[in-house]
Amino acid sequence: MIKPEEAALQIKQRPAFKPASIRPNLRHAAIAALAILAAAGIVAYIIKLGSWGEAGRAKWAYPTVALMYILSTAAGAPLVAYASRAARGYWALPARRVAELYIIPATISYILLIPILATLPPLEGRSNLWFNFHAGAPFLTDALAAAIMVLAGVGMLWISTVPDLAVAWRANGELSSWQRALVFNWTGTTRQWIAARIGTKVFGAFYLMAYIYTHLVLSTDLGQALVPGWRSGIFPAYHALTGIQGGLALTIVTLFLLKRYSSVGRFIGNEQAINLGKLLLATTLLWFYFFWSDFVLVWYARIPSEVAAMQLTIAITYRLPFILGFLGLFLIPFVCLIFNPVRRNLWSLAAVGGVTLVGLVFDRIRLFVPAMSHPDPFHHSLGTNLPDAFGPSALDIVFLIGWIAIMALAFIWAASRLPVLGGWELRHGAMLRREQQFMKGHVYVLGKPD
Amino acid sequence: MAAEQRRELLGLFEEPDQAADAFTRLREAGFGDTDLEVISSTPYPEGAFGEAHIKHRLFTFPFAGAICGLVIGTAWVVGAQISEPLVTGGKPIVAVPAIIQILYEGTLLAAVIFTVIGILFESRLPDGVGLYDKRISDGYIGVSVLATDPKMLAARQSLEQAGAVDIIAKDGSIMSSPQESTAS
Repeated sequence: MIKPEEAALQIKQRPAFKPASIRPNLRHAAIAALAILAAAGIVAYIIKLGSWGEAGRAKWAYPTVALMYILSTAAGAPLVAYASRAARGYWALPARRVAELYIIPATISYILLIPILATLPPLEGRSNLWFNFHAGAPFLTDALAAAIMVLAGVGMLWISTVPDLAVAWRANGELSSWQRALVFNWTGTTRQWIAARIGTKVFGAFYLMAYIYTHLVLSTDLGQALVPGWRSGIFPAYHALTGIQGGLALTIVTLFLLKRYSSVGRFIGNEQAINLGKLLLATTLLWFYFFWSDFVLVWYARIPSEVAAMQLTIAITYRLPFILGFLGLFLIPFVCLIFNPVRRNLWSLAAVGGVTLVGLVFDRIRLFVPAMSHPDPFHHSLGTNLPDAFGPSALDIVFLIGWIAIMALAFIWAASRLPVLGGWELRHGAMLRREQQFMKGHVYVLGKPD
Repeated sequence: MAAEQRRELLGLFEEPDQAADAFTRLREAGFGDTDLEVISSTPYPEGAFGEAHIKHRLFTFPFAGAICGLVIGTAWVVGAQISEPLVTGGKPIVAVPAIIQILYEGTLLAAVIFTVIGILFESRLPDGVGLYDKRISDGYIGVSVLATDPKMLAARQSLEQAGAVDIIAKDGSIMSSPQESTAS
């Protein structure tokens, strides 16, 4: 019988369980290291901006990797919250807010998006998604796509968090003016609860739509549209899928760290691991499906321009990042996750999630570095001479690691300001879950009223 | 004849069953759906207290937004294509496949913005209700009653008989042993 952690079953309605935010300590070695790396990432960003124009687009190749990595992990995580709400997966109650909070680092990645979009060459004379639409593409359209995704994500986080903040603040007396402005005088009427329950799902649905679309346009405009001859209708779907895979892996790793290092960990356990493990296995298998569908078509058709693009990103020039990505995104997770004990344990599942996150870095390197570093996208084919691999400078490495640290710190900051667990959803879930005797055994009874 | 002014009473209950009982008694005393409201820190299943089914129109807001966004998006792309006509790949100046992405963006953006408006409207925010007590934040259930002066006594008796631990009016508690409360 799969059942929640005892703490989750014992949540009280009165006095109402009110989850706290986490209390990060700058003196903690890991937090201090993250802060130093994040500071280095900001300095690297300023240096890159300061030398604007030198080395052109290639200088932003590794920052593009950082951007697409954040959009593939932090931006993918909130989908866990939406999916579990849409499917009424009560197992995910302790994971929903954790996943939603990642919209904050995803929002911060916008700072990277703007200069990167500004380096893109004009549409005329090269492959593009926009049919040479001259009134805003690709800069305005791509920035707008990401903005819609962020808006829907912040909306989902807002409507999910307002009841918890209102309850916590009202318990201390009258709301201050800024608190009132943030929670809009929320009191908890039946009508408000209906709006909250439906609102989280509606925003979640829009977030999913915007997420897929953002991956479509950004992976195309920053990726395949810049490599002559790279034409794939499957690639944007592959990119979105690996983003969901990365979001799942990030959620799993974060849940593990919260269980290990925070007081909210007592609500997190193997119930979450069992279900998230299945989803991670599913996305791992889908990785192979999408990759193979894309690969075998080019391999069999043998169109020289497409073969050259494939040689660039997979077989020859960026073979090492591809192999590392293949190991991290498919082979190692697949071999591990087919065994039930690995999927059923949060510790082992988090290790697999960590491997997935590392693999994703290399996958994004092989996809976006050749594209952003290629000097001349105004051709139909790469020709017979493949460009050399574009290795990272020390600044690029600092940039990449620094921005991953910024993502982590942004999450920690958000989790230190907002309740890291969804209190009202946990209380609602506890109200509807019982363990009771059935003949000589015990069963776990779950009510799903809506 | 001018309508009689209604005043609000807020009964506080420790147990949800008591709040449901209060609802039954208030209905028997002649109070209608628009006079009664449950306030809680946790969403109870709809109808758990015997309250009327609430018809919400939240789904209409994204649709209305989507239509507005589609219209604005269409104006943007068609206007841009017509103002600077460029034949690309032998296709028509205004071709649907070429503009579908922009239309999608415009539609989605307006739908999201209208959803925010819809949530505020359907929640009746930022108005909220008149009375609140911070014990609701600790898990007590509040039953709010809007009553005219002749029916105030009936409302109060219904709340007391259902087991209210406190009854609050605009000026504070009206129970014999008042506890700390806040009116907002």
